[in-house]
Amino acid sequence: MSTPVPPPRTPVELRPFRLFPGFAWPSFGAWVAAIALLALVPLFVKKPLLLHMWIMVFLAVAQGSAWNVVGGYAGQYSVGHAAYFGVGAYTTMMLLELHQIAPWWGVGLAILNAVIVSVVIGAITFRLRGPYFVLGSIAVAEIVRLGALYWKGFTKGAEGILLSGIPPLQITQDWTIAFVGKRPFFYAALMLAVLVVAANWFVQNTKLGFYFQAIREDQDAAHSLGIGPALHKSIALAISAAFTAWAGSLFALYVRFIDPNIVIGLDVSVQMVLICIIGGIGTILGPVVGAFVLTLLSETLRNPKWLVQAGLFSDESPVIAFIQQRLANTHVLFYGILVVAVILFAPDGILGLARDATARVRRRLAAGGRRARQPAEG
Amino acid sequence: MKHTRGRHGSHMLILQSILSGILVGGVYALVGIGLTLIFGVMRVINFAHGDLLMLGMYATWWIFTKTGIDPYLSLVLTAPLLFAWGALLQTAFINRILGSLPQNQILLTIVLGLVMRNTMLLIFTSDYQILTTSYSSSSFRLFGLSVSQPLLYSFLVTAVITAALYGFLMRTDTGQAIRATAQDREAAQLMGINVSRMSILAFGLGTALAAIAGALLAPTYYIYPDVGAPFTLKAFVVVVLGGMGSVVGATLGGVLIGVAESLGGAWVAGLKDLNVYVLFLLILLFKPSGLLGKSRM
Amino acid sequence: MGAILQIRHVSKFFGGLAANSDVSFDVEHERILGLIGPNGAGKTTLFNCITGYYPPTKGDVLFKGVRINGLQPDQVCRLGMVRTWQKVRPLAKMSVLDNVMVGALLRTHSLRVAREVAMEQLRIVRLDGKAGFLAGGLPIGERKKLEVARALATKPELLLLDEVMGGLNPAESDEIIELILDLKRRGLTQVVIEHDMKAIMRLSDRIVVLNSGEKLAEGEPKAIVANKDVVTAYLGEGA
Repeated sequence: MSTPVPPPRTPVELRPFRLFPGFAWPSFGAWVAAIALLALVPLFVKKPLLLHMWIMVFLAVAQGSAWNVVGGYAGQYSVGHAAYFGVGAYTTMMLLELHQIAPWWGVGLAILNAVIVSVVIGAITFRLRGPYFVLGSIAVAEIVRLGALYWKGFTKGAEGILLSGIPPLQITQDWTIAFVGKRPFFYAALMLAVLVVAANWFVQNTKLGFYFQAIREDQDAAHSLGIGPALHKSIALAISAAFTAWAGSLFALYVRFIDPNIVIGLDVSVQMVLICIIGGIGTILGPVVGAFVLTLLSETLRNPKWLVQAGLFSDESPVIAFIQQRLANTHVLFYGILVVAVILFAPDGILGLARDATARVRRRLAAGGRRARQPAEG
Repeated sequence: MKHTRGRHGSHMLILQSILSGILVGGVYALVGIGLTLIFGVMRVINFAHGDLLMLGMYATWWIFTKTGIDPYLSLVLTAPLLFAWGALLQTAFINRILGSLPQNQILLTIVLGLVMRNTMLLIFTSDYQILTTSYSSSSFRLFGLSVSQPLLYSFLVTAVITAALYGFLMRTDTGQAIRATAQDREAAQLMGINVSRMSILAFGLGTALAAIAGALLAPTYYIYPDVGAPFTLKAFVVVVLGGMGSVVGATLGGVLIGVAESLGGAWVAGLKDLNVYVLFLLILLFKPSGLLGKSRM
Repeated sequence: MGAILQIRHVSKFFGGLAANSDVSFDVEHERILGLIGPNGAGKTTLFNCITGYYPPTKGDVLFKGVRINGLQPDQVCRLGMVRTWQKVRPLAKMSVLDNVMVGALLRTHSLRVAREVAMEQLRIVRLDGKAGFLAGGLPIGERKKLEVARALATKPELLLLDEVMGGLNPAESDEIIELILDLKRRGLTQVVIEHDMKAIMRLSDRIVVLNSGEKLAEGEPKAIVANKDVVTAYLGEGA
């Protein structure tokens, strides 16, 4: 009954990820500074396409980081998060368009709704493990999508819901926010992205995060150490679903039209996973990096005009023409190739690559230092 | 497919549904067998399976429009072609991630499917292509039931191929080696079986089976880049129903899903797919080893 | 000193197969009970029944006088009974310290407190030098120690050790034996499954022998060695 002894591997010493020696990065201060800088962007950037790029990046950050809570930390690879995105988008839009309930209430209800839905879905799918869980999560999201397509009387089915307008938000007597143009959405998306990243930070640095990660690494071992897997997986999913639904609501209000295929399609679920895989799964910074890379890549290939607005290229530049004529419709292809490359060659994502690279440089520096101290050898 | 609208209606309608369900189910079985073969040997869930079927459809359509070769005849070209493609995918991609997390394997196959879909989109655009043969819409009459000709032919081809595959797996040395690999990869390797060669073979075979299914469907379906996705999901249902890795199970599962879908569709058109997923989820939860209760080939 | 754990007529069937049938014994406070038996005797199954991984088909498990069959493993752990795994289960991508902190967090919400408790346990098993290393990279001997430290961090009253010496060299085994005896001196009750007869004789205050799922014998180490049934069923088999 004695277990076969696995060959001993050389232990890896953990070091915090440091960009510069003696400087923990990104520290709390760095995050605050970055957020403050981002908040200033609309004061200098007025071009709509550039603001659009930022909004899309923030939404992607929110989606990726939201998925990261349950997928990255708790290790439950849901490929059905479109269900929560869709619940968020539909709750907000239906309340606004069919019942005239303002979106700031609608978003709250959407989040609540998604959390309730997540508890139900979790109770069903968390009984499954590994690849079976993945299959189950896909099936649930597809059931939600087909349901939304089928119950036309309730959701207007494939016809979709078109937003007629968002009422202005009155905060004080003389301060109202009108939801026209890109700027209000810029701040709404930025705020959401910051909140989700903060939630990831919170998860990583509390008991909850330790428990999530323990379940990810070995559910049975975690169970024997006093961790209730069902409860903690549900908590992770609820946090994740809440932010995903929020992102869905904001997306719907921003693009002003939704139908089941746009907001509950399998692509939505897959994209949320890919953002994390490309950046680095189960880290705070990973989804942020992944969101930037994926959004810039796909939006550029889809519409390279923002490069012109950013002043990087002139309108007649051959680069823009080339992208528009030759690379239109290829964004999914490039994105696919990028993901295949990451999975094959950088399983820990871009952050993992960066970490390995800095480790290699440090080792080389150390080796160089040793050699320098023994000049007589050669 | 046209349903009989006789006055003695409902019984005939049900019989008709069952019959067309069985015929379509044969093709589902073929798709499912390919998927189950890949899963059995590699423990990899191939999310690109429907896209391989899509490639088979396009290959058949392309050969037909360029040369006029009948889709059933061109199987001798498309099957080996797609076998080679599958073997290539296995060597270049799948083999490298066999040791990594199952979740990463799933994502890799999802994205490979995405790449194949979009490549076809770039080459052939998203337009629906139609492959019309002389028998595309003709049917036999049998005891008052209509039997679609292309569906009947494809069912016959399916039956022959399934039998041949079964014979290959049970009777030949290579087939035995594949089964041994599926049962216990490490033990098979210790016995001197070239496991990596068997994997290439399995993925190639699985791809070829999906492509054959695509070719058989080509005369009755619109052909477009996204056509594969519903088949991927349907293949999962078939495979889970029959028990992951079981060829016999997948065959039965395919026919069962064909009939269930056809019967469901006869009553509530929009709920057809929904029912399939609900069924799928129920099986995953309550009978994860499949209806036959074992997961071996 | 009463019994902390009482096993009452516990049976476990898988289909028609009896993995345990009608097993009864007590574990006394602050003692070490050795659980031995040939391969497939049902030792690990019994651990699984006791700790809630599956409910016993028949019979009762009483911990500190309370009936606990039907409780989940996490609830059992919270009550103060924790087990280690025969096949070690390190949380591979977390550091050694983090692994032990996961255990310590059962009794506190503060990471700071958990870190202190965890370091203390690592010192006890002499693994404090490896605190920052990835758990997945440890050699087998240290993984076994990590398993014990992690279990200890949950502040148990009863520790179930499933072959912690399996696969270790004699020096490492000696170290673990010293550790177990040290824990006993600190007042921790333990149930030890082990194959190494010399080790079990040295450790145990009392020994229970399982064979084909049934209790074959129970008694002090000396009495067990002298028991004819045990010799034929177990010792005669290999040694």
